[in-house]
Amino acid sequence: MNKTSRFSNFLNTVNGPFSIGRSAVFWVAFLIVTGYLYFFPRFASRYDVINLTYFMSWTFVAMGLSLIWGCGNILSFGQMAFVGIGGYVYGIIAINTLDAVGNTIPALLGGIIIPFLVAALLGYFVFYGRVSGVYVSIMTLVFTLVLETFMGQTAGDKWRVGKALLGGYNGMTNIPSINFGSTGLKGASLYYFVLTLMVVTYLLLRYLVNSKYGVGLVATGSNPDRTEVLGYNIRLIQLLAFAIAGGLAGLSGVLYVAWGHYITPSTMGLTNASLPVIWVAVGGRKSMLAAIISTIVLQYFTQYLAVTGSEFALIILGALLLIVVLYMPAGVIPTLANCIGKLGSKRRQEALSNSQSRRGVGA
Amino acid sequence: MKKRVSLIVITVVLLMAMSVGVLAKDTIKIGLLESRSGTFALHAGPKYLAAQLAVKEINDAGGVLGRKLELIAPDPQSDNRRFQELARRLILRDEVDVLFGGFSSAAREAIRPIIDEYEMLYFYNNQYEGGVADKYTFCTGPVPEQQIEPVIQYCIEKFGPRMYILAADYNFGQLSAKWTHVFAEKHGGEVIGEEFIPLEVTQFASSIERIQEANPDFLVMYITGDPHASFYPQALAAGLNIPFATSINVAQGYEHKRFDPPALAGMHIGVHYVEELPTPANQDFVKRFREMFPDVPYIGEQTQNTYVGIYLYAKAVELAGTTDIPKVIEALESGISFDAPEGRVYLDPKTHHLVRDVRIVVVDENHELHFPKTYEQVWPDWLSREKGVDLTKKPEFVQYEP
Amino acid sequence: MRLGGLEELPGCQDSSRLGATDVQLFGEIFGAIYLYLDSMAFLFLSAVGLIIILGMMGITNLAHGEFMMLGAYTAVLATRAGLPFPISVVFASLMVGLFGMVLERLIIRRFYGNLLQSLVATWGISLIISQGMLVLMGPSLQTIRMPLGGITVAGKAYAAYRLLLAVIAIGLLIVMWYVFHRTKFGMRARGAMQNAEIAEAMGINTSRMYQFTFGIGSALAGFAGALYAPTTVLAPLYGASFLAPAFVTVVVSGGANVIQGALITSVLLGIIEGTSSRLYGTFIGRMALLAAAMVILRVLPTGISGYLETRGERAR
Repeated sequence: MNKTSRFSNFLNTVNGPFSIGRSAVFWVAFLIVTGYLYFFPRFASRYDVINLTYFMSWTFVAMGLSLIWGCGNILSFGQMAFVGIGGYVYGIIAINTLDAVGNTIPALLGGIIIPFLVAALLGYFVFYGRVSGVYVSIMTLVFTLVLETFMGQTAGDKWRVGKALLGGYNGMTNIPSINFGSTGLKGASLYYFVLTLMVVTYLLLRYLVNSKYGVGLVATGSNPDRTEVLGYNIRLIQLLAFAIAGGLAGLSGVLYVAWGHYITPSTMGLTNASLPVIWVAVGGRKSMLAAIISTIVLQYFTQYLAVTGSEFALIILGALLLIVVLYMPAGVIPTLANCIGKLGSKRRQEALSNSQSRRGVGA
Repeated sequence: MKKRVSLIVITVVLLMAMSVGVLAKDTIKIGLLESRSGTFALHAGPKYLAAQLAVKEINDAGGVLGRKLELIAPDPQSDNRRFQELARRLILRDEVDVLFGGFSSAAREAIRPIIDEYEMLYFYNNQYEGGVADKYTFCTGPVPEQQIEPVIQYCIEKFGPRMYILAADYNFGQLSAKWTHVFAEKHGGEVIGEEFIPLEVTQFASSIERIQEANPDFLVMYITGDPHASFYPQALAAGLNIPFATSINVAQGYEHKRFDPPALAGMHIGVHYVEELPTPANQDFVKRFREMFPDVPYIGEQTQNTYVGIYLYAKAVELAGTTDIPKVIEALESGISFDAPEGRVYLDPKTHHLVRDVRIVVVDENHELHFPKTYEQVWPDWLSREKGVDLTKKPEFVQYEP
Repeated sequence: MRLGGLEELPGCQDSSRLGATDVQLFGEIFGAIYLYLDSMAFLFLSAVGLIIILGMMGITNLAHGEFMMLGAYTAVLATRAGLPFPISVVFASLMVGLFGMVLERLIIRRFYGNLLQSLVATWGISLIISQGMLVLMGPSLQTIRMPLGGITVAGKAYAAYRLLLAVIAIGLLIVMWYVFHRTKFGMRARGAMQNAEIAEAMGINTSRMYQFTFGIGSALAGFAGALYAPTTVLAPLYGASFLAPAFVTVVVSGGANVIQGALITSVLLGIIEGTSSRLYGTFIGRMALLAAAMVILRVLPTGISGYLETRGERAR
């Protein structure tokens, strides 16, 4: 295959059947929005840029969850565990190696690879142990709670890795910014970094979901037994997806500590564990884009509630979750998209019948 | 006619808007981060009230440098991530002149990198495990040499040298236990056993059994949070008869009001302040507080510390003649004192902590409080003595451990 | 009295006559039994409601902890209002049971075909209830004193109430066994559990059965919450401390055979947690519990009762 046809294959896969938004209109809108986001720091305040960076950092764990839950039907309540692992690993490696290496590249890589491996290990126990459905969700929930408890009692001097004190519930502090050799990424530079990562990850995941592997994953999710009979190695497929989701969650963790220079075990606690599920469920788990939008919107919303002093933030989130699951199980965004689509087709039908009646055709 | 009316309306509206703008510029903005929802709401909520009382009193007396104080207080919802987000917001968007807040040490450590990055003045007002040496941070809460040392010393003298430690399994508990070993050795005591309890555990049967087996002279308690408070009724039911020593219960979590007597009987606390402190200054403070907020369940030490913090800041700004942060820090480091409800306090320039009177508070079987001993003007000098900290000469941004 | 120094505890003086080591040994054994019973009772009572619901409908109710919290709050408030504690417990259980039945009718029954969505829905419910309670009643509620006081055995003090809880757990087990294996209702319930379609064809109203079962499972959760209320401080997140042990017990037990599964799991996990926490402290006890659960699940993925059922089927 020559270069152009490989590229067009890539494009076709990205535009495959498992993602919403495939038309030209969609891609134009996508380009416009992305362009706007790139120009954002020019006219927005320093605070708004930093805040948006923070919100975008969490889209990776949401995309990972969308991958395993939307496609593979694996509901994991434990993704925050991998966020925590990613953050802690990045902190440990960065604190110890920044002076020696001069940049945080090993830390960045470690913060993605180690959660990937841990997820693979956990996935091995779960999927090759033939645990399925509801039990997987519960075990992932228990995993993140256990990790939180474990990290919580790591206070004191003996809990350190090299120069990095784990810090127990006080957390690990003074974590350096992401650094590619000169100064740390902050403000606008961090913003562009995260934005670019987000766009690239989105496109790559779209490719993955629509590729042969993605087809296998979706098939495993909807009917594992039949898929296995057809010759797919469903356990390996699930394991891989789970590991990728773990790596993505780790990336969220890395970006979070690069923003806040600090991590505690409460990141892996009960309240935080529910957040990715809420973002993805409300947005629409089958769509990566819905996951991204929902994550950012819901975070703006809950932060707004906190600022105005409302106590109702979590109640509203819980109610939102319940309502979505009851009445819009595909998620808010796909349901909205459907409605708009139906409105569109209704109008077209009306226009068609109008023009038909005018011409005296039909009836 | 219509045109004139609308012109007048527009002018009035513009004037109001301008005056709001002018007023807003003219206030001194105090950012406050205390949780009013979530796990810490019970203990952190009253700190917000104390800040409001202090701000109102200062404003009624004419403000600071002729300007009014304004509190900007969003709710961090007991969530460390929220603390980080809101700290950024207060500093960058609302452009506050000073930041107050944080209940747990985790919250404080979450904010400290941010305030250091933006060079924002920060007051932390809770008792904690000690050790913060930060150019921009001032701590109005007591530290181990002001709480643990007095109470351990007192209990060794009164009950005997053998003690058993029961601590929450996180930084505060582990560090307090470490401190207890240090002070036990210093005053001729012996730690015959210690145990660390995970935070969410509510059933203490096995711990109670081990304590009974070890049979210490007194129990040292560093348990925190609601799940742990259930230790006391369980111990009571199991007939545990040993006196307790603590630095944290009662003064912060008012367990003596929340549990039926005699669950807390025999509890000895080393602390600078409880609501029941029988000095005229305090009784007046409590009266004023309850007049403004009649429903507050208890005025704990951290609530009083917040009140003190606001007054100290106001005093420093008056002294500096400006809200410019480096100048205010200079004023704070010049050696100022304040007549607080707890008594006279003095801000130690080297360590940014307070010198204060420390009391031994004892709970009896009816849950009444007694004050058998006061240690006067205890210096928070571990940082300067042991770690050579002098923030006036050498700025630092860390937390030390024993 | 509590103020002041040590007290001579009764029993210490007698030990020299009986032979110190005999009494000490008895004390050790009793202490161990007390801890194990305590652990098992706790696991059983907090998980049994969940297991029944799981066995009947395959639904895992993530709001289970909140049901326990509602039971605890209701019981405490009722006792404060003047009802004697035992009556409050029954009242609380009934209230929570009714609440569960209403919830089933309105929400839960839409998810019988889709178990993962039911997890999400019950998670949403759990958030609403716990946070709603936080707003309504504040961050904590003063609890009532533990009834019955202490008893002393071989020089050590124990809480009589906790022994009573163990007795109640055993009693509940017996009652459940009787209901499930000796009554018509129990037979119909087991039939519906085994095969809903055939049960329906045989005239059993499965939707009524499901509603009732969810009600019973909720009532049992409320019952456990109310029973443990005097032992701890009440906060809206009270359910969270029961969450991990209860779910671990449920997952390990599986839903296939409610009685045997619940019994064996509670005993097994109770021994594991009791031993580890006795030797190494509460934290290790918790860890051991979770580690054991992961191992057991790896070996028996349908849980203990699932394993027993398959073995039973093969024997038949």
